[in-house]
Amino acid sequence: MGEHKMLMDLIVNPEVVPHFVSYAFLGSILLIGLALMIRGSMSLVPGGVQNVVEVVAKYILDLAEETLGHHWGRPFFPLICTIFMYIAVCNFMGLVPGFDSPTSNINMTASMAVPVFFATHYYGLKVHGVGYIKHFLGPMRSVIWLPMMMLMLIVESISHLARPVTLSVRLFGNMIAKHFLLLVLAFLVPWLIPAHFAVFLLGILVALVQALVFALLTTMYLAGAVEEAH
Amino acid sequence: MKKFLTIALLAFVIVCMFAPLALAAEGAMADGGSISVKAYAAIGAGIAIGFAALGTGIGMGSGLSKACEGVARNPGVSGKITTTLILGLALIESLCIYALIVSLGLLINQGIFF
Repeated sequence: MGEHKMLMDLIVNPEVVPHFVSYAFLGSILLIGLALMIRGSMSLVPGGVQNVVEVVAKYILDLAEETLGHHWGRPFFPLICTIFMYIAVCNFMGLVPGFDSPTSNINMTASMAVPVFFATHYYGLKVHGVGYIKHFLGPMRSVIWLPMMMLMLIVESISHLARPVTLSVRLFGNMIAKHFLLLVLAFLVPWLIPAHFAVFLLGILVALVQALVFALLTTMYLAGAVEEAH
Repeated sequence: MKKFLTIALLAFVIVCMFAPLALAAEGAMADGGSISVKAYAAIGAGIAIGFAALGTGIGMGSGLSKACEGVARNPGVSGKITTTLILGLALIESLCIYALIVSLGLLINQGIFF
């Protein structure tokens, strides 16, 4: 997909800086610009853009506090909300003609999934110390069940290692599938407008839902790491 | 128990009957050498995404039916059920997307598709 002519080619040379990097920076600049614009004119009764952003932030804050508890909801809220907003903006960029979504590249999605993985384990160790290993041992705790505890340790390690892989491949696969579907449809039946329209709407839905799923899964993994072990 | 044993033995006999046929066909093909990797890749890609879509369809349909039932029992909590349903559907769909990645990889690698 890198051979296509994109709008960014006017500013940045595609040979030196690949498309997904320049569009990722564009997404970051968009979000930071939005934040600065809102901060410049804050009002107690919000209206317009501030209202929209406040709705989104409130929704994610409620989600974080409900899953993580009141003690850990606030500290983790910036990470989760940033991930949600950034992935949503990047996904929607792919739908606009002339732009490309940076999340349709495995490097971008992996670069978001791997820090989440490390954050989970870092906070788990910070809260529980060495007792963090009790999370991996399963429900039974006595000397007779030692073989089962060892088996559970292996199985839980594999499941934990699969988490960044599934997180990144899920987002990447959805974005690639959306692009491919639109491309194939445009190639085979360029005159059937309702089909394009339907796939476009599906693309919008998928973009939003995948951002939400990434943020939700991040929340649940963090909740699983910092909760009290049973 | 007797019925299960009968069915198991019958299945084993059928597999034993058809095994030499399949192996002979593969042997003949290996001698011929006319069917290339491209053909096998195309068949594999089709089968991969076909089975994945089958499993996904069954799983999503089952989850959706239970969600509808839950909303019918208790319409007041339909917002939470809808959110949980969408989340569950996205997670199940990601399994089909893994198979799509494999299938696309097969087709693109052999040059059949872009």
